[in-house]
Amino acid sequence: MKVIALIAAIMTGALLIYGIEEMPKWGDPNSPASSHVSPLYIQEAIEKTATPNMVTAVLADYRGYDTLGETTVIFTAGIACVLMLRKKRKGGGD
Amino acid sequence: MLDYVIGKYNFWIYAVLMMIGLYAMMGKKNLVKKLIGMNIFQSAIILFYISTGVKTGGATVPILMGHAQEHGHQAIDVAGYLNPLPHVLMLTAIVVSIATTGVALAIIILIYRRYNTLEENEILKIRKDTGV
Repeated sequence: MKVIALIAAIMTGALLIYGIEEMPKWGDPNSPASSHVSPLYIQEAIEKTATPNMVTAVLADYRGYDTLGETTVIFTAGIACVLMLRKKRKGGGD
Repeated sequence: MLDYVIGKYNFWIYAVLMMIGLYAMMGKKNLVKKLIGMNIFQSAIILFYISTGVKTGGATVPILMGHAQEHGHQAIDVAGYLNPLPHVLMLTAIVVSIATTGVALAIIILIYRRYNTLEENEILKIRKDTGV
């Protein structure tokens, strides 16, 4: 079983390393990740949201509903932990 | 070949970290070790995304400096600030990873209370012997 896991991990790793060839160099300012939508957010965040911190502007303003869903995830996880770990009372009465 | 390794060394590190996590998830028998493997895997992905936001050449953190209100009329130098989008997305990913880790630890506590072991093969043997 461990041998199969090791072979699967090495093959997946080889596939990833094959894909590295296409990636941009470290810190390239013209890499695809920072040349399509990202300049728009850097330039317009202060005008549209009046927030100097761009990370906060995107998190709480542009992606506000995403953050709302994120709090739902945390709430659900907390409720699940409480329901699983509480002490079960013996008998049906309160 | 040397340029291929050194120029993109960050991606090599993330690929190796990710495979350590994947092997721990598949090859280890202990449930806590599997969970640690999942956390290593998530950390590798988070580091990978953060590294795509890096810009060399004097870029700073994505917070506007100085007179924030006056920037509205001037053009903001895009090369002077790091890419904020990977940071935002990974903030969300860290929150989700904390939630999954918490729920997984709670499930592991329940498994330990019921079977008194965390080894996968021993749990399967107990289930087979008792016919559940």
